[in-house]
Amino acid sequence: MKQFFSAIWGIALMAFAISSCNKESGKQPDNPAGGFDKTAMLSYYADNLIIPGYQGMQQKIAALKTASDAFIAAPSASSQFALKTAYTETHLQYERIAAFQFGPAETSLLDLFLNFSGGLDYKFSTDGELTGFSVDTTTIANNISSGSYDLTAMTRSSFYAQGFPALNYLYFGEGAVSKMDSKRAAYINALLARMKTLTDKVASDWTGYRSTFIGNTQTNVGSPIGNMVNQLAYQLDLLKGPRIGWPLGKQSGGKIFDTKVEAYYAGISVALATENVRSLKKLYTASGSGKGLSDYLVALNQSALNQDVLTQFDVVVAALQAIPDPLSVSLNTETVKVDNAYKEIQKLLTLLKTDVASATAVQITFMDNDGD
Amino acid sequence: MGGLTNALKAYRYKTVSIAPLVSFRIAFGMLMMLSILRFWWRGWVSTVYILPKFHFTYYGFGWIRPLEGQGMHMLFALLVLLTICITIGLWYRVAATLFFICFTYVELIDVTTYLNHYYFISLVAFILIWLPANRKYSVDVRINPAKSRETVPAWTVDIIRFQMGIVYFFAGLAKLNSDWLFDAQPLRTWLPGKTHLPIVGSLMYQSWVAYLFSWFGAVYDLFIPFFLLKSRTRPVAYCFVLVFHIATAIFFPGIGLFPYVMIVCSTIFFSAYAHERILCLLPFYKSYPLGSKPVYHYTFPSLTACLVMVYVVLQLVIPMRYLCYPGHLFWHEEGYRFSWRVMLMEKSGATFFTVRDKESGTRIDVNNAAFLTPLQEKMMSTQPDLILQYAHYLADEYCRTGMKQPEVYAEIYVALNGRRSRLFVDSTVNLAAQSNSLRHYRWVLPYE
Repeated sequence: MKQFFSAIWGIALMAFAISSCNKESGKQPDNPAGGFDKTAMLSYYADNLIIPGYQGMQQKIAALKTASDAFIAAPSASSQFALKTAYTETHLQYERIAAFQFGPAETSLLDLFLNFSGGLDYKFSTDGELTGFSVDTTTIANNISSGSYDLTAMTRSSFYAQGFPALNYLYFGEGAVSKMDSKRAAYINALLARMKTLTDKVASDWTGYRSTFIGNTQTNVGSPIGNMVNQLAYQLDLLKGPRIGWPLGKQSGGKIFDTKVEAYYAGISVALATENVRSLKKLYTASGSGKGLSDYLVALNQSALNQDVLTQFDVVVAALQAIPDPLSVSLNTETVKVDNAYKEIQKLLTLLKTDVASATAVQITFMDNDGD
Repeated sequence: MGGLTNALKAYRYKTVSIAPLVSFRIAFGMLMMLSILRFWWRGWVSTVYILPKFHFTYYGFGWIRPLEGQGMHMLFALLVLLTICITIGLWYRVAATLFFICFTYVELIDVTTYLNHYYFISLVAFILIWLPANRKYSVDVRINPAKSRETVPAWTVDIIRFQMGIVYFFAGLAKLNSDWLFDAQPLRTWLPGKTHLPIVGSLMYQSWVAYLFSWFGAVYDLFIPFFLLKSRTRPVAYCFVLVFHIATAIFFPGIGLFPYVMIVCSTIFFSAYAHERILCLLPFYKSYPLGSKPVYHYTFPSLTACLVMVYVVLQLVIPMRYLCYPGHLFWHEEGYRFSWRVMLMEKSGATFFTVRDKESGTRIDVNNAAFLTPLQEKMMSTQPDLILQYAHYLADEYCRTGMKQPEVYAEIYVALNGRRSRLFVDSTVNLAAQSNSLRHYRWVLPYE
């Protein structure tokens, strides 16, 4: 009996030792012996896609501020044209970092404040509701005239009155040139300042977060790998929903919502959507460096699946490129092409949500699960 | 046959020390308290029972609804109180009965929270109602010393052992399938996600490790109850229990409290003597010589014996009911729940529902996130009965918003155990017109 209890104590101690190393091992590099080096993959993502992505965003916002200042100083069709280039560059850059909604970006709620998509849990079937890529022009007008507002407010009208939704309206919307005055200029500058503050914060937070990110090679909920696989699926859900499908009327029995496309007033929705998918493919392949999720799948003997995913990415990009911008017009005139892109997005979404998520064994919820 | 009948008759009157029941009552009560507090503390009472607009219910229990307002939180508070009552043996029978009812009610609210060990807890709670586990070292006996007993019918301890044995043995039987044994699935999919573990991490890409784990798991589950039953092998067997379940907890933290439930409940296999020795370490516990106090007697022994037999037969039959269904068990999941199938498959799905107005022909693509939580959507997308419930709910919802005759179609892709995803249900079938039943669903496409 005595020996038995000491054996049990031994086992308990060993288990405790293993599980406590387990917690510390978050800092150790993943062992690449006989398999795939996940630490190298995460390092590549941090150093070549994520951190440079936020630095690029900082530069684009700075350039946008210059163009915006010139436009405010002398509002005209030609300064507006110059501004549009800078705006488009900045918004395209945002699409390149859109999938990194975890860690610092999630803490700062960058996606809500810069480019609110309305989320997925909203029904998109009634006019006038703030859903998808809406712009809250009423709140914007109130904010401009009153001059007092709280851009940190956690409400949908606050999200829809700042960041890209508000800027693209103030720069390219009705009366963008004619209504320019000091109050409007002040609001624009407040929005730009907020975008800069948030982006700077995320960019600088990544310096510290990098080691946490590359040190965690788990695949559970909230782990970097789990986050990236889930973000791939989430971004495709956004494409299928608020970016393409819902404005096309997929959730409203064919009723088209042409003003609810992303960056409606700039008229660059298709370009943004295309850049979004291209960036997702870059994330998936780690820019073809041999260190990406695609290579992880190959290491897991899923080459055929990987090939299908790569092909489908290209199909989706081509299907989107076939749609002429502005999307708000194409929704009515090129319905077949938009519908085709929608179908191809759904195929890619299926591959990522079922096959890739299954093969990489990532979890999507925190709840206990004893294996389906 | 006559021998068996005689043996059963003799067994009915066999008595043992009450010690195993007492320590089981205490251990189970405390474990349940921790389990419930953990669930509460993690915020799951709100996210799982209060926030969702819609709940998936069990067949025949469609009338079960969560409590309104603060009701669910009050219920969890009550559950914690009940576990304390069970542990200290205060108003034991009432507490055990209420605990069984409340816990089972909570589990019945939403199918998507189904876990085998919640079912196990419900069953054990039910058994505990009928056992005299409060007849020693309890507040009840302190209040009324005349209730004190030293010995109880042997079956009162053995029924818990039987229940444990059922869990292990059927979990082992369930592993005897070609995916598990010859393909090492789903472990071969899951283990490469565990390379962060110290010492063993680098082995996780090796397929032989997945095979080793799979075969060891199957053999362990099938044989461990028998080794726990024999006194000679019991100490070693319990060491295996510890190693196996602690390993499971380290490898698959997402499994929750299951390993701890099994580690704690397996102690019921120890002899009365071992239990007595452990209990003696507790304050105020007194050992009496056997026979110094009366044996616990059931008021209706024959009826009790019959009911116990019915329970035993049900426990043997329920996990086998999948045999009544044609088709592939993992694909159709008919008879899958309540059968001790734990960590048996990697299954994921993507569902695209369309609601079509029969009158106007208008088609609406359903946005699942507008109706379901991520957990509900994940669970629904691979389980046919939940897919059907959701389709019916969608039909009702769109009826409510003015559609006259909504038809619901689903395009669903499911990937199972490392294979590529395939179409799961017939996308031309109007699911709103299919009835919910325990019969085989023909609209689920064959697995081949």
